[in-house]
Amino acid sequence: MINFYGRGRDAIDLIVDEGSFQENLCGGERLDPEWAESALVGTARISGETVTVIANDAGFANPRFRMVYAGLMGLEEGLKMAHAVYLTIKADEDKPLAEKRPIILVVDTPGMSPGKVEEIIGIYKSTGAYQLASAEARRSGHPIVAMVIGRAISGGFLCHGLQADRILALSDTFGTMIHVMPLIGIARVTKINIVLLEELAESNPVFAAGVSHFYNLGGVDGIVEAVEDMRPCVEAQIAEIRRLKAGGEHDKVGPWSRLMSGIRRGGRKTSEKVIELMENEFDLALPCWLGGEDNGPTP
Amino acid sequence: MDDRWNLMQDQPFSRLNARERAFAICNPDSFIELLCPRRKLTSPHLPPMGQTPQFDDGIVVGLGKAGKAPVVVVSQESRFVGGGVGEVHGTKMVMAIRLALRGQEILKSQYRSSEDSGQVALVISFDTGGVRLQEANAGLLAHSEVMDAFQAARGKVPIIGVIGGTVGCFGGMGFVASSVDVLIMSDVGRLGLTGPGVIEEVVGTEEFDAANRALVWRTTGGRHRFITRDADFIVEDTMKAFREKVSEVASWPLEKISSKRIIGTGDMVLEQMRLVELAANDKIQDSWDLWRQFGNEDIEHLWDSDVSEFAAHAQRWPRGRIGDCD
Repeated sequence: MINFYGRGRDAIDLIVDEGSFQENLCGGERLDPEWAESALVGTARISGETVTVIANDAGFANPRFRMVYAGLMGLEEGLKMAHAVYLTIKADEDKPLAEKRPIILVVDTPGMSPGKVEEIIGIYKSTGAYQLASAEARRSGHPIVAMVIGRAISGGFLCHGLQADRILALSDTFGTMIHVMPLIGIARVTKINIVLLEELAESNPVFAAGVSHFYNLGGVDGIVEAVEDMRPCVEAQIAEIRRLKAGGEHDKVGPWSRLMSGIRRGGRKTSEKVIELMENEFDLALPCWLGGEDNGPTP
Repeated sequence: MDDRWNLMQDQPFSRLNARERAFAICNPDSFIELLCPRRKLTSPHLPPMGQTPQFDDGIVVGLGKAGKAPVVVVSQESRFVGGGVGEVHGTKMVMAIRLALRGQEILKSQYRSSEDSGQVALVISFDTGGVRLQEANAGLLAHSEVMDAFQAARGKVPIIGVIGGTVGCFGGMGFVASSVDVLIMSDVGRLGLTGPGVIEEVVGTEEFDAANRALVWRTTGGRHRFITRDADFIVEDTMKAFREKVSEVASWPLEKISSKRIIGTGDMVLEQMRLVELAANDKIQDSWDLWRQFGNEDIEHLWDSDVSEFAAHAQRWPRGRIGDCD
């Protein structure tokens, strides 16, 4: 079976209109083509509509930061992606909700760069900046669809993918990898027997690797079974997201909607109880918390 | 009640547990815990793995007052699976943020909003290595929900982070902590994404010697984060110091609190790019190389000086003007 490891560029061509992808053009602004090349950003069209594309191109290393290679995202990569999102927001700031251009994320990253200089500068700001930018774009109306084509691993997936309105993933048959750590790594760090973990993983999606486990937890909204289905699935999601946002249903897209899916699909049963109890206790505590003699309810 | 509260104020923040920190960071007798241990809402995933759950799942959430401000307090417990974020832990944190937002709306609409009634603020004490591996997938998803809830709270509920526990704040919680409005750290506190042990293991000892405590602290510790402005304040490792700073910040107008952010706008991304530029092409080998670039001279003295002297004399990243220094 084919896979798309390191082939972010090929995947873009399969999703957008033929020949429409213009690299390093974002919201009308041209970016330096030599800047953080593995963070592949640009503008394309899907069925004629302008979209921003943000992808990983694992074929490039970053000559300025030696811990950026094989799709690992470093200080510059996260900031470049964040920059692309803010340029997109700015380009459409005066447009009505229905005309905010979609952002397509093509996801294939093994994670964030683990390096000393990355920690000295604070790489968490690069990933944080990109997530906040994405959340802002999503909340201001841009439909964001993530298409996981290869690896969506740990902090890399959080940064590039998990802030989307909707997340699609090629099925396990394409070798798609979604996880925090492989089972063997979890066994080693937690000192839990690997045989026990393998057994538990069959019935509980909460820790083991795999697209279907993430689906059951709500972390993946849809599984795509064939390469040629990527494009129609992405288009269908854009339409669905637009419909929900037009109706003001912002909690039916994005991370919170995936938590709700996880509850419905049975992967996050306990979360449901937490939400219900906390809401009840909060309501009961309200008068005591906000009240008091100086600050009582308005007559 | 007051005796216990008074007793805690002089204790090292780092030595208190998560519940004590949450209780003592609020005004005396004001803390109300939500989903307290009596509820026994534990992780269902740990027992089948032969691991003992904890009745609060390693996180304390509650309501209180900090000075005049009503606060929602979140406090992570690093003594329980390293403060790791699992399903229950994560959902409790997400709900705390959403409830703070709801509290703010209710305060403004149903209660008198005079000048001195203040505004609801969210206070998070981080003490965590990030995702709890035993519940890795749920923990990962919870991080994305927290970041989304942060964005929803923007311009409505100020978020104050504190890092002063023994684990610090690593993994995904590193970027959560960098997304708050104001971050308060102590000398003990550390902030990073990839922990020192993981860098050593993945890249090698020559990249990072995790056994070198001095190296670990000068790379991720509160002093370095204060210099790079990731931390807005550095305080003594006492409960009182953290409480006083939180109360002070919670009393500021929202605009002033928001102005302390380091990420979250397009302009701030451009600022961070300039900071990153300083480190490109192996220009930086050690955090102290950066300190020197910002104009710090007697660095060893600065490193050894007490916290107030350090805060008064440290030359920090001249935010947004890196180009001028080059």
